[in-house]
Amino acid sequence: MDLFDNLLFGFGVAFSLQNLIYCFIGVLLGTLIGVLPGIGPLATIAMLLPLTFNVGPVAALIMLAGIYYGAQYGGSTTAILVNLPGETSAVVTCIDGHQMARQGRAGPALAIAAIGSFFAGTVGTLLIALFGPPLAEMALKFASPEYFSLMLMGLVAAAVLAQGDMVKSLAMVVLGLLLGIVGSDVNTGIPRFSFGMAELTDGIGFIVIAVGVFAVGEIVTNLGEPTERRFLTAKIATLFPTREDLRRSLWPILRGTGIGAFFGVLPGTGPAIASFSSYMVEKKLAADPSRFGRGAIEGVAGPESANNADAQCKFIPMLTLGLPASGVMALMLGALTIQGIQPGPQVMTQKPDLFWGLVASMWIGNLMLVVLNLPLIGVWVRLLKVPYRLLFPAIMAFSAIGIYSVNNSPFEIYLTAAFGILGFLWIKLGFSPAPLLLGFVLGPMMEENLRRAMLTSHGNAAVFVTRPLSLAFIVATVLILLVMIAPAVRRRRDAITD
Amino acid sequence: MSDRRSLMLSAAGMLLALTTTVAAQDYPTKPVRLIIPFPPGGSNDVVGRLIATQLSERLGKQVVVDNRGGAGGTIGTEIASGTTPDGYTLLVISIAHAVGPALYPIKYDPIKSFTPVSILATGPNVLAVNPKVPVNSVKELVELAKKKPGELFYASAGVGSFQHLSGELFKLMAGVNVVHVPFKGGGPSMIDVIAGNSQYVLSSLIQTTPHIKSGKLKALGTSGTKRSPVLPDVPTIAEGGVHGYEATNWWGIVAPAGTPPAIVAKLHKELAAVQDSPEIQKQFATQGASTVKMSSEEFAKFIGQELAKWGRVVKDANIRP
Repeated sequence: MDLFDNLLFGFGVAFSLQNLIYCFIGVLLGTLIGVLPGIGPLATIAMLLPLTFNVGPVAALIMLAGIYYGAQYGGSTTAILVNLPGETSAVVTCIDGHQMARQGRAGPALAIAAIGSFFAGTVGTLLIALFGPPLAEMALKFASPEYFSLMLMGLVAAAVLAQGDMVKSLAMVVLGLLLGIVGSDVNTGIPRFSFGMAELTDGIGFIVIAVGVFAVGEIVTNLGEPTERRFLTAKIATLFPTREDLRRSLWPILRGTGIGAFFGVLPGTGPAIASFSSYMVEKKLAADPSRFGRGAIEGVAGPESANNADAQCKFIPMLTLGLPASGVMALMLGALTIQGIQPGPQVMTQKPDLFWGLVASMWIGNLMLVVLNLPLIGVWVRLLKVPYRLLFPAIMAFSAIGIYSVNNSPFEIYLTAAFGILGFLWIKLGFSPAPLLLGFVLGPMMEENLRRAMLTSHGNAAVFVTRPLSLAFIVATVLILLVMIAPAVRRRRDAITD
Repeated sequence: MSDRRSLMLSAAGMLLALTTTVAAQDYPTKPVRLIIPFPPGGSNDVVGRLIATQLSERLGKQVVVDNRGGAGGTIGTEIASGTTPDGYTLLVISIAHAVGPALYPIKYDPIKSFTPVSILATGPNVLAVNPKVPVNSVKELVELAKKKPGELFYASAGVGSFQHLSGELFKLMAGVNVVHVPFKGGGPSMIDVIAGNSQYVLSSLIQTTPHIKSGKLKALGTSGTKRSPVLPDVPTIAEGGVHGYEATNWWGIVAPAGTPPAIVAKLHKELAAVQDSPEIQKQFATQGASTVKMSSEEFAKFIGQELAKWGRVVKDANIRP
């Protein structure tokens, strides 16, 4: 019972008063920055890093980790309530979460997001404790061909994101890919579509597009409606999920956790991919996919679990191999080094208090977040009763502050406004923005990995089918395509035989 | 009435003349803005924040960090170049300042738009190979690369990054043909070498040392002129066979051109004291860097040399066709 002993030891470390306090400060701060779009855990941790020099390494890391996963919780709150994605990963939650809020079901949406996240966090913590090192070693098997094939599969599966018109959805995916091309070419550094503007040489920020098309676009649309038809009704049916809600959410939470853990372990996948994938899976598996986009609770439960599992599992390569899977993890490594700890596989044996203390604190932190968030639901939901004429300027102001804080760049605020106008037009013309964002997320990563794979294979495209893992993803992609095309083919054949 | 006005005007004029001389003695009377031309998290940010905290204590006024990232540091640098030269705006620069002009369209002059204040520290990279690569020294790596031209790969943090430039300088000076594989950031490039997809990387000591100690990477040489105290057993790349090779990152502080010399002198003095503090020494040491002192004039000359050196590497390595 090594694991049991180790976890018990970890809880002993995490339950010291000092560590509990730092954990609480971390998750609280994380929740707050999660609510605000733009300012994310990366910037917050970078700014707080010097403050942690004087507390011990265990407490420092517990607090920084708390900020990180706290932000994942907070990000969903504004997504559900006001269609404002507080964090990158919360974009998917906007789709159905906000629709639930419009139907007076903000309470259940928030509750299921918290419950799903907690479950995923628990599983993530266990995965780190049980299988950390082998999982991390496995992730190293992924090189550029594997990443490309995996993302190709994701992009093909994106067709299920389509709501209504398939052609319009594909057009949005392609537009997303094109927007993703803006910025420096990865292999040569030459700026593309930057029109000589220095601000565009690093590309367009994801949060700029997300806040523009979701939050701002939504506000403009709402203001165009007659006052009495604006969504913020007083009819808030229930605060907590019904038995039916829980039943519907059970499998999505389990599947979302699995999907999130998978992507979390892989260092080369950014945020949002896990939640997008989970959403696509749930929509594909649903008995009635048409409910999605209209307030399906599965569309909140799955992606929210996926994104928390992803966030939690990003710790695996960091803690077990000393490899950063994301910018936040690179900062945590920096924090460890500053504390005089050499990150790497030896941390587990040489600094068991740090490793097991952190693992235990993650679970405690997740518990704190649930305890913090469930009672807050009532408060949040009451926020919806604020008259819209007061609420919408507040959302706009918070969006602007958040966007500005990313790079202290006024340019990005103008860009958000421009995407707000586009978002409004898209809503009016019946184009859903989710496929655009997926294309925007996947496009640059696919391109990067495709070009890198071609570079390292000396231009031999066979590399995608000669490497077994990559081949597996290509085969899966073809299968998905067949499954999607089959019904259409069958319909046509039926039409002919008729 | 008009007499009174002229009296007031002349008094105001005198006051103005007085303030320019008094300004230096009183400086600073309000918070000082320190522009870091990179987003939070990188080495420039770490260095800038360390210095800001300590400098605040010495100046008695808050030094406020202002991250203005983007376009390889040129956006923040351009912002700094356009501010009032009164000592209330400072800029953190690094080797990126010497590389940016060759890679990005810039609207400032990297030398004439600024008054150098002080260099802070320098830090070498370390050339690390995947342990499966059958080489044990820089010389053997060069031999292997010569035997297999275009077949080895080296990873970097991206086009125009310091990892990339030190790698290209290595290729130029060793006369080898190794394929550059760019990533987005130093983390992914190191992962690629540990996973064995690329053969080597030239990355910072803080990032690489843990993996050298755990045996996941093998250090062949450091990129400074002297051996690093962090890895005293590892020879420099120059010692290892690429004679004259040096690629060292550095960090310093400049002010917009025209900042009064008295203020520059005061800042130089205070920064020197900050450099001497044990806290800063310790922090730089953990980053694999060490503090360096130069007069403002020497620092100006140094920036000029770095600009010439890296501009040539960008051109010779055909980084920006």
